[in-house]
Amino acid sequence: MSEQFQRGVWGRLRLHVLPTKRFKTFAVSLYAGVPLSEDRVTSVALTPFVLRRGTQAYPETLSFRERLDDLYGAGFGFDLYKRGDHQIVQFRLDIINDRFVSATESLLGEALHFLGEVVTAPALEDGHFRNKYVEAEKTTVSKRIDAIINDKIRYAAERCVEEMCKDEPFRLLALGRKDQLTELNAENLYEAYQQWLREASFDLYVSGDTSLEEVQSLVEKSFRLPAGQPSSYSAPTLRKARAEVQTIVEKLDVGQGKLNMGLRVGETYGSNKYASLLVYNGLLGGFPHSKLFVNVREKASLAYYASSRLDGHKGILTLQSGVEIANYERAVTIIREQIEAMKKGDFAMEDFHRTQAMIVGQLRELQDSAFERIAFDFSNVLSGVERTGESFIAEIQAVTPENVTAVAQGVELDTIYFLRDRKEEG
Amino acid sequence: MTAKPYPKLQETLWQEKLDNGLEVFILPKPGFTKTYATFTTRYGSIDNHFTPPGGETIKVPDGIAHFLEHKMFEEPEGDIFSQFATQGASANAYTSFDRTVYLFTATGEIEANLDTLLHFVQNPYFTDENVEKEKGIIVQEIDMYRDNPDWRVYFGLIEAMYEKHPVHIDIAGTADSVRSITKEMLYDCYNTFYHPTNMTLFIVGGIDPQETMERVKRDQAKKSFPEGGEIKRLFEEEPIQVKTGKKELFLPVSLPKCLFGFKEEPGDEKDAVRRELASKLMLEALLGSSSTLYQQLYDDNLISDGFGHEYNTGPGYSFSIIGGETRDPDELVARVSQALYDAASNGISSEIFERTRRKKIGAYLRMMNSPESIASEFTRYRHKGGDLFTVVEVYESLTLDEINERIKEHANPDRRAISIVRSGPA
Repeated sequence: MSEQFQRGVWGRLRLHVLPTKRFKTFAVSLYAGVPLSEDRVTSVALTPFVLRRGTQAYPETLSFRERLDDLYGAGFGFDLYKRGDHQIVQFRLDIINDRFVSATESLLGEALHFLGEVVTAPALEDGHFRNKYVEAEKTTVSKRIDAIINDKIRYAAERCVEEMCKDEPFRLLALGRKDQLTELNAENLYEAYQQWLREASFDLYVSGDTSLEEVQSLVEKSFRLPAGQPSSYSAPTLRKARAEVQTIVEKLDVGQGKLNMGLRVGETYGSNKYASLLVYNGLLGGFPHSKLFVNVREKASLAYYASSRLDGHKGILTLQSGVEIANYERAVTIIREQIEAMKKGDFAMEDFHRTQAMIVGQLRELQDSAFERIAFDFSNVLSGVERTGESFIAEIQAVTPENVTAVAQGVELDTIYFLRDRKEEG
Repeated sequence: MTAKPYPKLQETLWQEKLDNGLEVFILPKPGFTKTYATFTTRYGSIDNHFTPPGGETIKVPDGIAHFLEHKMFEEPEGDIFSQFATQGASANAYTSFDRTVYLFTATGEIEANLDTLLHFVQNPYFTDENVEKEKGIIVQEIDMYRDNPDWRVYFGLIEAMYEKHPVHIDIAGTADSVRSITKEMLYDCYNTFYHPTNMTLFIVGGIDPQETMERVKRDQAKKSFPEGGEIKRLFEEEPIQVKTGKKELFLPVSLPKCLFGFKEEPGDEKDAVRRELASKLMLEALLGSSSTLYQQLYDDNLISDGFGHEYNTGPGYSFSIIGGETRDPDELVARVSQALYDAASNGISSEIFERTRRKKIGAYLRMMNSPESIASEFTRYRHKGGDLFTVVEVYESLTLDEINERIKEHANPDRRAISIVRSGPA
């Protein structure tokens, strides 16, 4: 791979630029992370919602959005999520490379200028955020939190993690807490925002037909961040599974039961055992040839989906399946048998090789997507490791079945969560 | 094999119609590591009543196209997912109203994976036992969707609009219809719709077009197929009016979900693509996130970020879908409808038209970064007699008068249907 990230620093911003001509767009991501905390989670979550309402140059939301349309419908958005013990806000911009349209302005320059304004020069009144925007976006965040229950698959996943991590900040939603929303207003949110600008770790990524020098000169004109140095991310604290597995059953008006399990894995993304853990996850439930899919779905016909997901930044593994309510016990038994089988090293060599091949394929594939390459690189920044696509592929290929069985010993079931109907049991 | 260059997009499409009738398209993407292939039959959930070439007319149970899709992955030698995994590829499939698509994505062993794709889709293997076993899995899939309010409100709207046309039938069918499916029925459908003359192969990625085409030709030349012929698809006449103006159902949701739209006569098939693009531009101009109406509805807390619109058209159907979650479905429908009726009388301005056109062109070019989207959209356009690679030209040739005419035709108060999902009485 000849394409490499070029690195630079400008004040509090780390710059990462991937010069490439392969795509029809420039992909821009700005990550801003702070430690996930009870006190700040809601103000941090609300901030990007308010920032996307207007800037000093485009204070009205309508003119703000028209500006994006004029930049050939630049794709602008943001995401909020948890990575390890951090709460991350990611702003995204995807904008057409000038050479495909008859643009008169440098679209990358305009886009970075726009993003700089969004993050560092928001629309204000009387020295704080606009009251109207803050109140409207409080309602929006509140509705988003409420809406989690609409998608039962997501709801069960969130609830399982909440129960498993009930003594840690990780139990919190990246969207924050509804009860804290009422305490936020245009003034105290603006103060929280300024603190966020001073303290968050900022990483700006740009991929496309450009260079570090060009990006650096554009950023200097566009971002008005407080002076200082970039801050770095701390490693997550690892926890052990509770001594006795806890079982949580919740009732709602559902037809299908949602069965989720939470496990602690004892390692994180930064560990040199992470590659083994990824192969473990692939064998257990990452693919259609995995134990969960084959045993819960194909052999027992109990479910349409049955899979596992590794959160390497937090060091947890979650399993999810949708089953007929009467089949709960059977499904739990089958799933626990698969976890035990992994501990005994009871898996076929064929499946082991398939899993390696699939993970290698995924790692190669992500080279074709600008945003995925950016996300992969950001995982390094978060975890203080230096993996490239190639070095990580080599790590995956070097994993042995014994390595997988060894990491399986550290995987412990912590929580079983079952969402079922309201009918009486029986 | 012919090569068709699209200089504006900097792409070249290679194509050939093979002796057995299969149409093959190859889009080389130099520098990409991933290859993505789709093998598509022009056969979906609406094709439930038909006359095979030289055969008797038959009516088949709801959900059979989707059932067939599930069963194609089983071969005498085992599960085809495992075969792909051994070759580092991930495979999938989906069924829509008028298509069934089989696909794989891989970064290596492209030839072997292509062989596997062609092999499994052209080798049905149904037994009484494997058909029976699949029913449990599909019933769980149906139950999963039954608990999903977004899916229910979406399908509820199509049910409200269409009385006879099978577009109103759930793609997966019902638990009862699925249980009535036999292996003989599956073979009848397979033999009718999986003939090469009814199928398209599309391959995109970092491949050599000549070598890849030769590989496909050699593979197909080895296989024999019966003579193809015309498939007659039978549709009962669909009334012009909607079936019912309003349909409501109860599910636990944080806020009511409300979708509504207008049913149209399908129109001339040769204009289908132009009409679809004009309709989408019209909806975006009137209801998109940078429209005045959107901002007013948002300010009045009547809509959330999920508010959106789409336009669907296919053999014998054509309709819009507008909406999202709302505190007050009646007020939302009234306000949006009134705005559409006003626009039908007054038209939109040329400024809004131009801005929206730019936005749509930008979104299209961004989509062209994704091989997955290209593959899926290419075949969809092809089936409608259009060409994905000339979408920009179509957008550029649209006129303001045409859009304003489209609004008048579309926003017909007599052809509106509404679907609502809200929480039931406790």
